[in-house]
Amino acid sequence: MASNYRKLVSAIAANLLTALFCAHASAAEEPAVDHEWGRFLREKVSFSGFVENTTGLSISHGSHFFNTSNRLDMQRFTFQPEFNIDVAEKFKMFISWRFVAEPRYNAETKSREASVQPAGTGRALPWDFWSEYKAVPWEVVANVAPTDNLQIRVGRQFISWGETDGQRLLDVINPQDLTIAPPAAVNLFDLDETRVPQWGLRMLYTVRPVSNTILEFFANPGFEPKKQRVDEFMPTNDISDGKADGDLRYGRWSSHPEDRMAVARLFTNPNAINAAIIPPQFATAARTVVPTFTRDYPDAGDNWKIGTRLTHSFGELNAGIGYIWGYNPQAGDMVFKTKGVGCLPPATGPLCRIGAAGPFLPTTLRASLVNDQTNIFAAHLNYPIGDPLGIPIKTALRGEIAFYPSKPYNISEFPAKNCTTGQVLTGDFAARAGPSCKHSDNLVEKNTIRYALGFDRSTYIPFLQDDPWRAFRMTFQIFQSVIMDHEDGIRAFGHASKIRKISTLLTFRVGTGYLGDTILPDIFFGYDPAGYYSVNPGITYQPPWNEKIKISLTSAIYGGHNKYSGLGFFSEKDSIFLKLRYQF
Amino acid sequence: MRVTIPERIFRRSLSIFGPQAAIIFFLALILCGFAVAPWSIIAAEPDLKPGEVIGTDNWQKIQGMVGESFLNRVKAGHKIQIKEPKVYRPLKEYVDATEKYSGKVGLGANGELLNYVAGQPFPKFDPNDPQVGQKLAWNFFYRWLGDDYKTGGAVKGGKILRAVIEKDGSERRADLVSYFLFPSTRYSLNPKPAIPGYEHIDYIQLRVDSYPRDAAGTTTLEIRYKDPTRADDLYIYLPSIRRIRRATTTQRCQTLAPSEFNLDDINSFNGKITDFNYKYLGDKKILANISQEHLPFNRKHGDYLPLDEKWHIVDTYVLEITPKDPNYCYPKKLLHLNKVTFDTHWTLMWDRRGEYWKEQFGFFTPVKLADGREVWSVGDVVITNVQNGRTTIVTATRAYNQGYPASMFSLATLQSVMRGGSIE
Repeated sequence: MASNYRKLVSAIAANLLTALFCAHASAAEEPAVDHEWGRFLREKVSFSGFVENTTGLSISHGSHFFNTSNRLDMQRFTFQPEFNIDVAEKFKMFISWRFVAEPRYNAETKSREASVQPAGTGRALPWDFWSEYKAVPWEVVANVAPTDNLQIRVGRQFISWGETDGQRLLDVINPQDLTIAPPAAVNLFDLDETRVPQWGLRMLYTVRPVSNTILEFFANPGFEPKKQRVDEFMPTNDISDGKADGDLRYGRWSSHPEDRMAVARLFTNPNAINAAIIPPQFATAARTVVPTFTRDYPDAGDNWKIGTRLTHSFGELNAGIGYIWGYNPQAGDMVFKTKGVGCLPPATGPLCRIGAAGPFLPTTLRASLVNDQTNIFAAHLNYPIGDPLGIPIKTALRGEIAFYPSKPYNISEFPAKNCTTGQVLTGDFAARAGPSCKHSDNLVEKNTIRYALGFDRSTYIPFLQDDPWRAFRMTFQIFQSVIMDHEDGIRAFGHASKIRKISTLLTFRVGTGYLGDTILPDIFFGYDPAGYYSVNPGITYQPPWNEKIKISLTSAIYGGHNKYSGLGFFSEKDSIFLKLRYQF
Repeated sequence: MRVTIPERIFRRSLSIFGPQAAIIFFLALILCGFAVAPWSIIAAEPDLKPGEVIGTDNWQKIQGMVGESFLNRVKAGHKIQIKEPKVYRPLKEYVDATEKYSGKVGLGANGELLNYVAGQPFPKFDPNDPQVGQKLAWNFFYRWLGDDYKTGGAVKGGKILRAVIEKDGSERRADLVSYFLFPSTRYSLNPKPAIPGYEHIDYIQLRVDSYPRDAAGTTTLEIRYKDPTRADDLYIYLPSIRRIRRATTTQRCQTLAPSEFNLDDINSFNGKITDFNYKYLGDKKILANISQEHLPFNRKHGDYLPLDEKWHIVDTYVLEITPKDPNYCYPKKLLHLNKVTFDTHWTLMWDRRGEYWKEQFGFFTPVKLADGREVWSVGDVVITNVQNGRTTIVTATRAYNQGYPASMFSLATLQSVMRGGSIE
């Protein structure tokens, strides 16, 4: 049924595109058919886009749990037609569709089903990683300028704040689909390809153009349908939410889906608390919690947000302050909230027992992944530093800061404790982390500050260049997140990895071009002083005889001292990608 | 038998100095010749007539009137035809402003302009004035360029067509659009002569890449300040991340790949006037084309030579530009300024080893203002890197005095650029 629907939508979209394209082409040749439309299409409509194929191969040793997990991990075909329409001088439109076909490697599917799927509790893995055949445009915006100073953009769009490179700090208006690309791999897919567009309105009012004094307002009313897309990289116990909508995918970038921490153990298990009353022969079964996670993207009304920002230049310093109020859809900021507990059927009662004297069955827990309503206070600045005191610094400095008051976090006990006795659980009950004894809902709210400083510089390194004046672009960034009044046990929502009071990430990027920019190397490094790193080198070839073709070879490499934390999560997913792209 | 001039010099020196000294003297002469080559300021009065065709058999007639690389192509078989010259008249408003304001204009200790309002700063100058080079540079900088313009606005399709040609003839295209606003030297559009609040700004440029698709939408906002100590502001909107990034403009020599231009090569010379020294080398007749007929000019794919454009003689001032910064990429750059329009026709550049590096020629073409008056605009510009063999051609005819609002040249515009490069 779903397949037929996809085919139907694809056929309609393809016919529509073909008709538009042919109309455009025929208009260019023979406008007699419909002179006015022909002229409009010829003069006001431009057609562009790209076709792309990306193949990824895991080059790491893989996991002993899967016999196929270190093989093909991406085979994605993307077709994105785009139309620019200059309806009038003050009214322009842009429409694009994104069609993606990315099948899952069949052997891997079978292997994962056999290895991971708890027997009888889940469903088959879907055949694809990512399929996008919607007739709804990927992006559709109308840009209207009622006055010289006012720009209004309405439609499904991207709104981006901030200036950081490769990472996002103030760029929290649109969510990012973390299933699309491996983390910190900016040379594989740029942000524009991993963000998710949202319906909304954006207004920019230029109060004083000479000083770039601009007042901005945006509103995303929350018309986006449910879409599972934000948490898949996390090594959660990823079993079905019970809905037959094909949203069970298993994150490709979860390095250890087979070793996933049983997230359920991080939540309060009513039976475990009362372990003392469970007969010893049933203790092992009774402590088990089988979680049922619903990970619905918040429905309309639950993901609305509004924001405003004022920017201004003070001499050479450009700065701005902003405020966002609404729901924060960013993957890393979501939390699991307990929605209820139950028993694995046919067990019933507080002890999840079959009948009055039957065996104990695992309890169930319904934990919903939610993005909380939040306030974000934001500010940014940028300033060029030339040659102060004759020292050729020649660097652009930029900074961003975001303050999240009362930001929610999941919290646990490290290691797991019996909250009644306060004793660390041992033996079969031992766990790296367990339910929080202090916060029964496993949640805590903390004021949080995140900031970034960036330094951008172009540098000549003549001995490394065929053209000594082709500069190397270098960017160094430091990101820090500070949790005020920090409590031990605060962790990321999907696993048992602690979040420290101060988290730091350093990035460095360097890129240049050779032979008239036909060869473009670029490398992005990420380093967490806690002992993790990522390296993302890429090299692109653009043939000198055709500007439309691009061939890229990219690699995403990760490492760290602990493969259950930080960038170490991905240490067994080192991959190499070949991307072929044709622009039109 | 006809004896050539070099031969005569050699024979004469032989008789005066003897064989060894004569050879040294002759070699020295040749070296001196190379030192001024490829462009000799001392050129004979050209013997060129309209309709005449220059080719392999008579290329000597244009020696010194075109760039060396171009001349080599003529020597190798390319033919050019001479036509009647076209003369443009300066715009009345510009002449009026010159008369009104130029009397008070002077130069400061560091070559900065004092008391300048609008028009040509130094309409009268003495060739023997030690500051004549600096004055010519300011005349070039404040030449008439309209109150605003859209580069590429007068090209079919409304954008700059840019072709990048490799040494082997491979060719790529990369199109863009550029908008200039001159908010403090306005001659036709109100408010005049300056938009209130913008008196400290010489120009603002908004540049939008439009092709190929991945580059389309990349937009820069560049602001040039009158303050000689303040560097330009540069903001870049990157569609790949949909963010605006600040950039420094102090690395002005970096190649704007894939083209052969750098930041200071735009409009022949785009450096901050006070960052350089200038020397007036004399007057010179050169070959140019200020009435280009085809936009872009017809050429063979993979080659930059115009096939059916004709050339004519133009009177120019030759201005030598040397940087104050010893690390600058061009230790010497020569501009050939049209004596009427102060636009450049040939621009020649040398590298830090003293070797000939790039040559650039620009065609001009007549365009109309809204009131029907004819003015001139750059047509095709060709820059050739003679060392690596790459050439960039841009067809960049301007549409002047479009009445762009100042608010268009702000960061708000960068944030509203469409993915395809379209802006309001």
